[in-house]
Amino acid sequence: MDQQEIIIGIDLGTTFSLVAYADERGAHIIRDEQGDGRVPSVIGVTPEAPGRPPRVTLGWEARNHAVENPRTTVYSVKRLIGRGPEDIRKDLPFLAYAVVPGPRDTVQVEIAGRHYSPEEISSVILRGLRERAERHLGRPVHKAVITVPAYFDDAQRQATRDAGAAAGLEVLRIVNEPTAAALAYGLGVREQISLGSPDRPTALPQVTPGHFALPMQQCPANVSIEADATSAGHTVAVFDLGGGTFDVSVLRIEHGVFQVLSTAGDTHLGGDDFDRTIITLVQREVHEQFGLSIDSPTTRQALRSLAESIKTRLSAAREAQLELDLGHGRTYRRTITRDEFEELSANLVDRTLTLCDQALRDAGLAPDQLERMILVGGSTRMPCVRRRVGEHFGIEPYTAINPDEVVALGAAIQAAILGGAHPDMLLLDVTPLSLGIETMGGAMGKLIMRNTTIPCRETEMFTTFMDGQTAIKLNVLQGERELAADCRSLGEFYLRDIPPMPAGIPKIEVEFLIDANGILNVSAREQRSGRQASIQIVPNHGLTRAEVERMAKESIQFARSDIDAHRRIDLLNQVEFDLNKTRQMLERFGAQLEPTERARIEQEMTALYALAGRTEDLDELYQALTAFGHSTLRLAELGIRAALVQGAKEQPE
Amino acid sequence: MVPILTSAFDQTAVLPAKCRSCNRPLDSPLFCGNCHTLHPAAGLTHFAILGLTPSFDIDLDELRRKYLYCSRCIHPDHHSAGGADANLSLHTAAQLNESYRVLRDPVLRAEHLLALAGGRSSAEDKSAPPDVLAQTMLLREETEEARAADDSAGLAALRKQVQTLCEQALQVVAGLARELPGNDDTRQRLREQLNAVKYYRKLLEQL
Repeated sequence: MDQQEIIIGIDLGTTFSLVAYADERGAHIIRDEQGDGRVPSVIGVTPEAPGRPPRVTLGWEARNHAVENPRTTVYSVKRLIGRGPEDIRKDLPFLAYAVVPGPRDTVQVEIAGRHYSPEEISSVILRGLRERAERHLGRPVHKAVITVPAYFDDAQRQATRDAGAAAGLEVLRIVNEPTAAALAYGLGVREQISLGSPDRPTALPQVTPGHFALPMQQCPANVSIEADATSAGHTVAVFDLGGGTFDVSVLRIEHGVFQVLSTAGDTHLGGDDFDRTIITLVQREVHEQFGLSIDSPTTRQALRSLAESIKTRLSAAREAQLELDLGHGRTYRRTITRDEFEELSANLVDRTLTLCDQALRDAGLAPDQLERMILVGGSTRMPCVRRRVGEHFGIEPYTAINPDEVVALGAAIQAAILGGAHPDMLLLDVTPLSLGIETMGGAMGKLIMRNTTIPCRETEMFTTFMDGQTAIKLNVLQGERELAADCRSLGEFYLRDIPPMPAGIPKIEVEFLIDANGILNVSAREQRSGRQASIQIVPNHGLTRAEVERMAKESIQFARSDIDAHRRIDLLNQVEFDLNKTRQMLERFGAQLEPTERARIEQEMTALYALAGRTEDLDELYQALTAFGHSTLRLAELGIRAALVQGAKEQPE
Repeated sequence: MVPILTSAFDQTAVLPAKCRSCNRPLDSPLFCGNCHTLHPAAGLTHFAILGLTPSFDIDLDELRRKYLYCSRCIHPDHHSAGGADANLSLHTAAQLNESYRVLRDPVLRAEHLLALAGGRSSAEDKSAPPDVLAQTMLLREETEEARAADDSAGLAALRKQVQTLCEQALQVVAGLARELPGNDDTRQRLREQLNAVKYYRKLLEQL
């Protein structure tokens, strides 16, 4: 059995999540029985009741019952992760479930009186994806690469990583979604990107089958520079409009290196916002026509589903019928045309184009230097998005891989790179936001500029301003604005354990290091008097280590089924292993057994195989496996003896 | 400052000769192409890190090729096993990115050369050529007026004007940087011209 550990790639989306892996044949999306790779990022919680344990549902099941259970169905949690109450105020009118302030400037979801952090909710989704992968691969999975919007800030990245840890996954890398998409494109359809004619018509939606070409070039690590100096580079932009977030990244691809030159985005701009234009329209018109205000949790959820289906229909048809039963014989009815919808959502598309211009400017490129504009994310299926992007840049936007799946494929490829499968390839990403500290007078003192290649590092010297001062408070900020108050605070970092000295004497060097995940690491050292005291840093946001560990242990009510799932996989693997082994042994040593014993073993093999295929009772399976082990003992002994004899023969004289 | 100057302008002094692990000769100070051992970049100039001769005139294509090559060899993605190697890889990659950022930008490159030649930093010496300060103040006022009047044509003209000034200052910077290490006067004039470029760039940001 191949024991090399598989690292899975996860696209943790606002609306849908996917899991993929790469092997020597390529990168593959792991699909359900219907062939769908998407798992709706929706969880439903059935609260505990007398005589009935609580239950958590995930994916289609939760989504299909969202309208009946508006207060206990959680969707679009990605809009909440790593955010504070102030950040998500505009989302609240569109969420049917309850969101309450949490500790340390976070928010929590309230279900039946219990509070759940967005990390906890996300970990349920991640756990589900992990289990899907384990079922498919037939072995436990512990490591993952998870994608996030390129424009996610430090807190959102950390929160995503924490959610992974809470799902029992070691998150080896947080990768930016547009970069992952570029990786999938660059590897699989490099030729099409470079050679395809720009006016080649692009058909959409195009579903690609499970396997996706990924040449596994096993180049030696010390490829010479000269050897591939002739390969021409390409400049591409990835336009990624998902369910809740928008990113645009400009990349240079050459010599197997995917270098992000710049990125821009909005973590609150996606398909959800297009739905909301329809929701707002309906709410306004219902109020005008019937004097009704439709804003209860149930109607919010129903309106959301309605708006989403209207939006989807308008991508294929010129108009769609809207119908809403308001009770008491009142029905709201109207036709909405595509033109009308496009007018309603025009300012949303405007915003994406403004951000594209900014990314190009930051990359130091003129629009005509762009060779490709790759569209990613389900929301790029909207004809208005495709048309306006094409018009704006004067190039036909490009989509070859299913826009829902390309990010997960890229994550799987990055996982393979981390696993050492592609020594000739590399992703070089940038930090999307400037990093700095609050200076005297409340200004933002920038230390690391946005679009700096990561990992990157900057140091700054600090001292005390009072005699005997042993602590310094730093307000670490992310953002582009001049005033600290307008930037996002990553929390107040306390430099503690400074040796007491007169004011201005301690010299504390603080290192700000943004790692390859785009996550900040702060360390500090006091350098005076030859003593390099390390300084304790206490960040103040998101989850504490202890909370992540607790979540990993408790993980809502999923724990039981999770352990069962693991045990099931382990048991089934063991059954398969034992049956194969016994079959081999019978072939080699069966002749040495009594014919009746041989027949009995063969009968038991068939029975065990059948049981493994049908039973849900893991204890029963375990007992059957143990019994099978006992009854094949004599055969096993024959094998051991033969091996010993063989071993003795091979011993040197 | 003489010792730094000698080592920086004498390229034979910048490379540790042999790998600390396999003892083979190194072709990059950051890693061994033979056994893939990483080497700390501490104390090296940006030129040394990228294996270039210290000079204002560098081949940008060669710089980029070397940067991409080194990145592939030292990046944390290829040293992800954890422990000391992963940590060294993280810091070395951060250093390499910084060196590339400095060398590909003519202003930062000239700053680096000036520092290597023992010149003063912009923090130590903020002086600019005599007319530049008054000129930038005037330009700033005009910018604010044009913005208040919503005069987009005026702003565009101002932008063009500052760009031209910036390019002219950059040419002077280039000329002086080629004379390095030079004498005290060369270094002082370079310092002032670099400060002037900084003023212009700041103004351009606002435009």
